[in-house]
Amino acid sequence: MNGSFAIELENVTKVYLSREDEVQALEPISFRIHSGEFVSLVGSSGCGKSTVLSLAAGLIRPTTGVVRIMGKDVLAPSNRVGYMLQQDCLLDWRTVKDNITLGLEFRGLKTEKTESHARFLLGELGLAHTLKQFPSQLSGGMRQRVALVRTLAVQPDILLLDEPFSAVDYQNKLYLEELLTGVLKKSKVTALLVTHDLEEALALSDRILIMGNRPGRIRRTLEVPEELRSATPLKARGKPSFRPLFNELWKEMDR
Amino acid sequence: MKKWLETWLTRGAKSDAHARYLRRLRLTDGWVNVTRLGILALFVAVWEIGAEKGWIDPFLFSSPGRIWDLFLRMAADGGLFQDIGITVLETVIGFVLGTAAGTGLATLIWLFPFLSRVLDPYLVVLNSMPKVALGPLFIVTIGAGFGSVLAMGVAITVIITTLVIHSSFQSVDPNYLKLARALGANRRQLFCRIIFPACIPDMIAALKVNVGLAWVGVIVGEFLVSKNGLGHLIIYGFQVFNLTLVLLSLLIVAILATVMYQLVFHLEKRLLRHRQLE
Ligand SMILES: Nc1ncnc2c1ncn2[C@@H]1O[C@H](COP(=O)(O)OP(=O)(O)OP(=O)(O)O)[C@@H](O)[C@H]1O
Ligand SMILES: [Mg+2]
Repeated sequence: MNGSFAIELENVTKVYLSREDEVQALEPISFRIHSGEFVSLVGSSGCGKSTVLSLAAGLIRPTTGVVRIMGKDVLAPSNRVGYMLQQDCLLDWRTVKDNITLGLEFRGLKTEKTESHARFLLGELGLAHTLKQFPSQLSGGMRQRVALVRTLAVQPDILLLDEPFSAVDYQNKLYLEELLTGVLKKSKVTALLVTHDLEEALALSDRILIMGNRPGRIRRTLEVPEELRSATPLKARGKPSFRPLFNELWKEMDR
Repeated sequence: MKKWLETWLTRGAKSDAHARYLRRLRLTDGWVNVTRLGILALFVAVWEIGAEKGWIDPFLFSSPGRIWDLFLRMAADGGLFQDIGITVLETVIGFVLGTAAGTGLATLIWLFPFLSRVLDPYLVVLNSMPKVALGPLFIVTIGAGFGSVLAMGVAITVIITTLVIHSSFQSVDPNYLKLARALGANRRQLFCRIIFPACIPDMIAALKVNVGLAWVGVIVGEFLVSKNGLGHLIIYGFQVFNLTLVLLSLLIVAILATVMYQLVFHLEKRLLRHRQLE
């Protein structure tokens, strides 16, 4: 892939317009994410993290600047991108089976093969038995896993995750993190994760972008050392370099 | 007998404590039903005896016996069932058509937001107008008959349905729309796969309201057109001062309306059994 980046933002700004007001959500920001890299976006509430993700997903257009996915300008949601929201947004009236193939259906990719791949992913996350159930029969953590399967079923090259595990308890969160990194390692997917959990950011990422407030900008970039990168999220939390880095991040956020 | 009652009251119990719990619950249920029937029986009895003894004027308030006699007589010559059939048909077609047309209109204005803004004040005016006042217009244009009565049933339901369903379309959780767009949905898919199914509970709620409204429209329509149907029987009974006929017709309307409401209620339970109650 002619040396291009998976995700690239170049002098991007975003101004939200309404009848009463205009809100400058982002001042010119630029960053690049390599193919296969796992990058986290942290920052205080309202600093524009979701805005950055929506821009990368092609859900909104930048006011100025360019957004590129795999070297191509983003004009509309791309087939190569999977987006996971904070809410699981499962459709209550569809079974788990029909929920996980929703993306395939929309993109006209629903075939025997892709469907069985989706079922395979469901099995990987330990939910094979829920195939015929309805979302209302599942627990919060299970719903979140189904939502993850739905995102992965379209076999995206790039994953955009907006606080995907904020609604689940700590234990489930650790479990989901393990599952996620397990799946990503196998398929060499690029990931951009928005989180307010600094531990999560450190445990999962190769790099952390710290955003500042009003208007949103990138205040600092933190490279995560190899020791943490190569360990699984659970093990990384126990490494000696984890705590000092966590404290550094925390201080940076506090400013 | 006592033993039999005991086993019936505690059927399906998982343990002794559960049996005692079920027994208490079912005894209350039983008493509620007995009291209900008792009130009804008492009412009918007082009415009948009152008319017999001249406490109330049977000419004005009739009596259960007279109503029953009239029912048997009219049932025997079959004319009653024709009237019932026609009113039920008008009502069912009225509320189904009204709900369907309302949903269709709501879809149309969802498709064209500009149209929705343009039409908004007109819809509000039409909605605040008492639709039964349109009766004479329908009779002049469609003619005094089945069509006019039906038009009344539809007119009374269609605008409110349009407004309710359109606002329901618009209040679908924006996160669902975001998700669908990110998953690659086009506008058609967005509507057919997300917005429409998400609003089915509201459509059924509209259907429930419309059952009641359509009865109003159809009965008033039959008052005006006055050819056949239960509304016609009521107005006819009133004109010849046959209050027994009026009361019989009212009773039948009450029973039919309840049955229809229950049918829609069961439809709702069937269609929505998998949805989470918010
Ligand atoms: N649709 C919108 N219209 C107007 N203003 C908006 C809109 N979406 C976001 N904003 C504003 O843009 C800024 C950034 O919002 P954004 O949702 O990106 O923040 P965030 O970092 O994701 O916050 P949080 O951590 O709370 O999710 C906020 O000040 C917000 O008020
Ligand atoms: Mg956000």
